[in-house]
Order: sequence, then structure tokens, then C-alpha cells
Amino acid sequence: MSVLEMGFADLAGSLRAWRLWTLLGWLEIRQRYARSKLGPFWLTVSMGVLVGALGVVYGTLFGQKLTDYLPMVAIGLVTWTLFSSTVNEGSMAYINSSSYIRQVNTPRLVYVLQVGWRNLVIFAHNFVIVAVVLGIFGVKSWLTLPLVIPGILLLLANALWMGMIAGLLSARFRDFPQIIAALLQVAFYVTPILFHGAMLSQQHRWIVTFNPLAYLIDVVRQPLVGVEPPASTWTITVGMALGGGLLALWMTGRYHKRIPYWV
Amino acid sequence: MNASIRLHQVCLDLPIFDVSAQSLKKRVMRLGRRNRIAEDNTGVVVVRSLDGVSLELQPGDRLGLIGHNGAGKSSLLRVLAGIYSPTAGTVEVHGRAVPLLDINLGMDDQSTGRQNIRLRGLLLGMGDDEIRAKTQDIADFTELGDYLDLPLRTYSSGMRLRLAFAIATAVDADILLLDEVIGVGDASFQDKAARRLEQLHARAEIVVLAIHDAKVIRQSCNKTLWLDRGRVRAFGDVESVLDAYSRHVAA
Repeated sequence: MSVLEMGFADLAGSLRAWRLWTLLGWLEIRQRYARSKLGPFWLTVSMGVLVGALGVVYGTLFGQKLTDYLPMVAIGLVTWTLFSSTVNEGSMAYINSSSYIRQVNTPRLVYVLQVGWRNLVIFAHNFVIVAVVLGIFGVKSWLTLPLVIPGILLLLANALWMGMIAGLLSARFRDFPQIIAALLQVAFYVTPILFHGAMLSQQHRWIVTFNPLAYLIDVVRQPLVGVEPPASTWTITVGMALGGGLLALWMTGRYHKRIPYWV
Repeated sequence: MNASIRLHQVCLDLPIFDVSAQSLKKRVMRLGRRNRIAEDNTGVVVVRSLDGVSLELQPGDRLGLIGHNGAGKSSLLRVLAGIYSPTAGTVEVHGRAVPLLDINLGMDDQSTGRQNIRLRGLLLGMGDDEIRAKTQDIADFTELGDYLDLPLRTYSSGMRLRLAFAIATAVDADILLLDEVIGVGDASFQDKAARRLEQLHARAEIVVLAIHDAKVIRQSCNKTLWLDRGRVRAFGDVESVLDAYSRHVAA
């Protein structure tokens, strides 16, 4: 079996074991919020406070109309959280599951999919904020709204392949979780989440144009604010998902056998 | 389904990343004896835990693994389970191999007993139907009754052990790989556990058992493998290998 075939075989096996990773993902959430009254809705509350505070402060600072700015920040932050925590926790996917990996021979990507599932569930909780904000400030266009679904799937696909690679690198080199967390922190500030591309002067537009993460956020955000994502956004995000996905599966196949030794 | 196991000249090098090669090298040199610890070309410390192991098992075989701590018994079980791929040599395992290396694997404190049964079942690759079918059997064996619907953290350690043991031994395997799971629990439970293990053995075509207790090996095995520092010291019928081993231990 070629290396890439091994990667695909593992992915297929992992997808078939969906009962396992959905359960593992839920368990993690349940453990985190065991016996708290609000449970995972604490995330919704804290995200709501964050969105409100950042929206008002930065909206005033940048001199933006709150009716446009607040929905943008709300969607941007919720979307970014899905992306960044999937990649971030992806880097710990194998390390944290070492007891399983060393005791039973399950497909490996189960542990990355578990991270993706968990963050999708958390995203669903956070999405309440987006719904509330859209409810208050009004939906710009109902026509573009359904496009958010392929948008979220594309974002998740990209976050997952990055998580797969992060997981492999981190299992072998334990400095990577730190490096990845730091990079994501920087990425947050240079990606249009608290600002949007149009706010930059012409000579600084490249910050957004050449930032692949900007397209990932846009592919989710634009349908929700009544803009149909342009063809370039779709092309770039789909291209990244395919290219990165192949690379991640190749690496997973290549280092498949080594993972139990590393964790 | 005819289960079989064939190992040919299997070597297993385990890299150890969290030990500084530098200091360990010094320590090893101070000991000054022939050692199995070496460095690979990137400076990572490597322990050779299996060295040229060959072995063949047919349906009906019950293999007992003996040897000192660190002789490679658990490593061999992990190779057979497909967890570790060998560094050199070939491994052919036909049939569904189920490892029971740590009976507490995948026990979640916040989940109820029933949910734990499901979690463990999924980890071992069972389907939903199979898990449902097993749940009643596990419930009967543990005698936990209504406790099965309470979270695991409310269990006493004995109850926890009974549940873990019952789940672990509910599997249907062609090849069963056991690592010292026998000898758990209080005396009254032990008889019951021993009977259940016998049933488990009877269901599997091949059993490989790593255990220190020679009595258990005489009872339940027809072959014995003596591992010494990753090498096969002796492999054959139970009595001759156990004799050689006990002479070696006494000497």
C-alpha cells in the first residue's frame, strides 16, 4: 500500500468509527462542564460578553456603525474560535489520547475527528450569539444565508487538515503545541476579524489579499452578512482543502506506524 | 475463520524521547555491561525491546509468556495487537485480535456504568448491536444492578474493578491478548473471574497470556515462550520451558 493509500484507508476507517469519535467528543465536553448548571452554554455566555465588549469598544475606536460592525465581529469571533481551537486542540489530539493509542489499535484519525466534532458542538452553542445578533440587527439577505453551510464545512475541512498535521508534528516534537498556539495568536490579529479589508488603506490591502485565513473566515461570514462569496473565495478555500487534505493524509500515512511510539 | 499468528525474526526498537541521550549514555557507560540501549542516528535513545522473535501459532494454541519485568512481554503483545509495527521482520496475524492490556482503559468517571460499557465496546471495535447484546451479560456478571445507571465516580474501587473486568472480558475475539489481568478483586470475586476467563479463553481460537504465575500457565496453556531481554530463550511445551525458567530464576 502506498503512503497516500494508507492515509485514505485510515480516514475511511476513522469515518466508519463515527460512533466512537462523536462519543469521545461529547465525553470531553461533559467532563469539562460536569455538574455546572449552564454546562457548555457557559461558552455562549462568555462569548456573548466578549462579542459585546469588543464590538462596542473597537466599533467606537474604528468609528464604525454598530449595526454593521457588531454582526461582523460576532460572526468573525465565533468562526475564528471554531477554526483556531480545532487546530490548537488538534495539536494535542494524539498526545492526549496516548492511553488509547497504546492500548488498542483504532484508526488514528479518530482522535483528530474527535477534536473536530467537539469544536463543532461548541460552535453550535456559540452560534446562538450569531443568531441573536442577526435577530436584533436584521438579516441582510435570506438568499445568501444557505451558503453558510458549505462555508462551515469548508472551514472545518481546512481546520481538520491543519489539525492532523499539527497533531503529528506535536506528537513527535513537543515544542509544536506552543509554536502553533503562538502562530494562531498572531494570525488572529492579522486576519480580518475585528476589522474588515475595506478599512485598510489601498497600500495595506495585501494583508488581507494574501492571507489565506481571511478567505476561510469570509466563506462563513459573507453569506451571513448578505454577501455572496466571490468565485475567488470558493476557489481558494476549496483548493486549500484539497491540497492541504492530500498533504495531511500523506503525512498521516507516512507516519501512521510511528504514532504509537511517539505518544 | 482460522486464526493464525506467524512472526518471523521480529525486532522492535522503542525510541524514548523524554530521556536525555547524553546523560543516559553516561549512565550506561558507567554500568559497563552489554546493554540493549543505543542511540539512533538522530540522537534519540532507542531500546531494543524485541530481538529476532520468531513464532508460529495455530488455532487451539494457548501461549503463556514468561520472563522478567522488561523482558518484552508487553511489547510482544502490542506487536501482535497491531499497535506497534516491528522495526524489522514480518508479522502475519489472521483473525480479530483483541488486546486486553489495561483493564481500566477508557473508563470515564463522569459517565454511568452503561455508558462506559458502550465506550469500551466502541474502542474495541464493536458495533452498536454487539454492544447492546453484551450489556445484559455484563450487567448480570457485575451484579451492580441499579448502580449501572449511576456515574462511575460513585463506585467503590471494588465495583469499578468488577465493571472493568466484566467489560474487558465480554469481547468476542479470534485472538485474545491478555496482560496480567488475572488475580484481581476479592476472594469471592476471584472464583467468578476465573470462570469467566475460562469461558473467554474457550471462545477465542488463540490466546496469548503474559503472566508471572506458573500455576495459571500450567492450567490454561499448551505452549510457553520464555522471553529474556527481548530474545526468545525457550519456546515449546509448558513443562520443559517452565522447568528451565525456574532453574534459571533459582540460580
